[in-house]
Amino acid sequence: MHIVVCLKQIIDPEIAPGEFQIDPVRKEQIRGKHALVISTFDENALEVAVQVKEKTDGKVTALTIAGEEAVEALHTALALGADEAILLSDPAFSDADSFAKTRILAAALQKLGQFDAVLCGRQAGDVELGVTGPFLAEELGLPCIALVANIESDSDRAHLRRPVENGYEILEAPLPFVATVTNDESNVPRLPTVRAIRKAVRTPVPVWTAEEIGIDVEPEAAKIELQELFVPKREVRCEFVEGESGQEKGENLALRLRELTLI
Amino acid sequence: MTGILAFSLASAEGLPRSALELVAAAEQLREELGDGIVQVALLGPDAASYAETLIHHGADEVLVASSPELQSYKTELILAVLETAIEQVSPAVILFPADTVGGEVAPRLAYRLGVGIVTDCVGFEVEPPPSSPPKLGGKEGGQSLGGERGGGCIRWLRPVYGGKAMAYMVAKGPLQIATFRQRAFEPLPEDTSRQGKVQALQVELEPALAQVSLVEEVREEVEGISLDEAEIVIGGGRGMGGPESFSELETLAEILRGAVGSSRPPADSGWVPHAKLIGQTGKILSPSLYIAIGISGAPQHMAGISAARTIVAINKDEDAPIFKVAHLGVVDDWRQVIPALIRACRELVGD
Repeated sequence: MHIVVCLKQIIDPEIAPGEFQIDPVRKEQIRGKHALVISTFDENALEVAVQVKEKTDGKVTALTIAGEEAVEALHTALALGADEAILLSDPAFSDADSFAKTRILAAALQKLGQFDAVLCGRQAGDVELGVTGPFLAEELGLPCIALVANIESDSDRAHLRRPVENGYEILEAPLPFVATVTNDESNVPRLPTVRAIRKAVRTPVPVWTAEEIGIDVEPEAAKIELQELFVPKREVRCEFVEGESGQEKGENLALRLRELTLI
Repeated sequence: MTGILAFSLASAEGLPRSALELVAAAEQLREELGDGIVQVALLGPDAASYAETLIHHGADEVLVASSPELQSYKTELILAVLETAIEQVSPAVILFPADTVGGEVAPRLAYRLGVGIVTDCVGFEVEPPPSSPPKLGGKEGGQSLGGERGGGCIRWLRPVYGGKAMAYMVAKGPLQIATFRQRAFEPLPEDTSRQGKVQALQVELEPALAQVSLVEEVREEVEGISLDEAEIVIGGGRGMGGPESFSELETLAEILRGAVGSSRPPADSGWVPHAKLIGQTGKILSPSLYIAIGISGAPQHMAGISAARTIVAINKDEDAPIFKVAHLGVVDDWRQVIPALIRACRELVGD
């Protein structure tokens, strides 16, 4: 099974809240000295793809639309088990909105030729729109399965496990399909080995331009606009419950909750 | 008139709460736009039986498609019904729940129609466009809701960067789509005297269109109150130290008639099932009381619980970020605090 994983590189989302800063004019996060990493759910998607590969002897290709700086994310993807990684990069892509990015990814998939599944994280860790997977399914005319945790596959059909309220369901889809991946205990991303990292950074990452994938990205008015970005001010004054010991604090907390008619 | 169409899929378990939340959101939007009609596209095996409930909670018109084929995984059929509904009522805004079905169907519909979509909203505001002349006379057909074309510009509010920031976004064009997070709106009170129109959607469903099928469905019986419904939620974090500590939280939950959830570390470490995860990637809740124990307060966790009316934090680290959002705090080891809290609550609340 050949699985293509669409990745996005973002500023490390695990930084301390106090270090998170935005530029309200450019309406984006200020990178500062923070590392760039693969977006959280995209790592889960990659993990799912690599697990399928390990079971069925398939192949995993990682794709991203970005500038040169994303080669690092693609090297990480290779270290985590992807067999090949391709950077889709062109000055014409820089203003692409979700609709244009969908056409770029679709053109790249066409150039790749044969594939059995396309996986995306459920949403990016920055803007969190969560439209890439469903958009791509529409563009390619493929079935779409949202929010799956893991995949089992035989020759021409796949079984996808999707967590639902108090349980899960197993869905069957014909190949090829598009799926979005959510985090689950079964797809916690592995840590790359030092050896895998060394090998990955020596692996060349091809760069495909607009011309190479045969796409003309025409400037188009974006359909949505980010008008304002702000960090909400939470003005909560915490009232600390006091006591001589932890036990007394526990008792006083219960009394205070009762006073406030919360319990 | 501006049509505001809310989408809902009623499964075998009944009408989801999100349907009533979306009607409340649509009603507020109608009010702020100063014009419009609240319509619902209600789909599902037994959809027709819930139409009245929607009207009693604020819908003006319910478009019903009842068919056993309309299941959550048969999204191609759901899309076909929606296309028919849109053709019939030409809405200016379509609202979806930001759940498994809405999260897939809404963007696919937006792509199919080539219109803007804003996902995971928690609110909105309506602003008159800066250069628009004052409203005089009637509007033309109500199809002018776009970002710049008058009729009021809707600024959709949504969290970004894992809840660390918020964004106002605007969709342009005559039709816009938005998905709403659970609990962003409270259902309107029921008014059984309210009248509305119920209309069956005439759609020929082609079962062959559906490409995904259901092989197996497993649901576990849940003891006590479910996390989604609980008015009191008790959350445990990394500070709980291990799976066995969660039984103390269960005891407290039982006394307070609440439910237990967790932040990400316990869920990722397998101390509790992933279904207990509260946060950006798990449950999004709005209980009246949230008691966070051994939880530092990472933004991705708070994204799931910041709508709680009162937040209580118990943490031995007085610098934990959770104390910046908590109303009541206890700085101490939970191992000392919780047994005493349990005893005192048992006395105060009774068994």
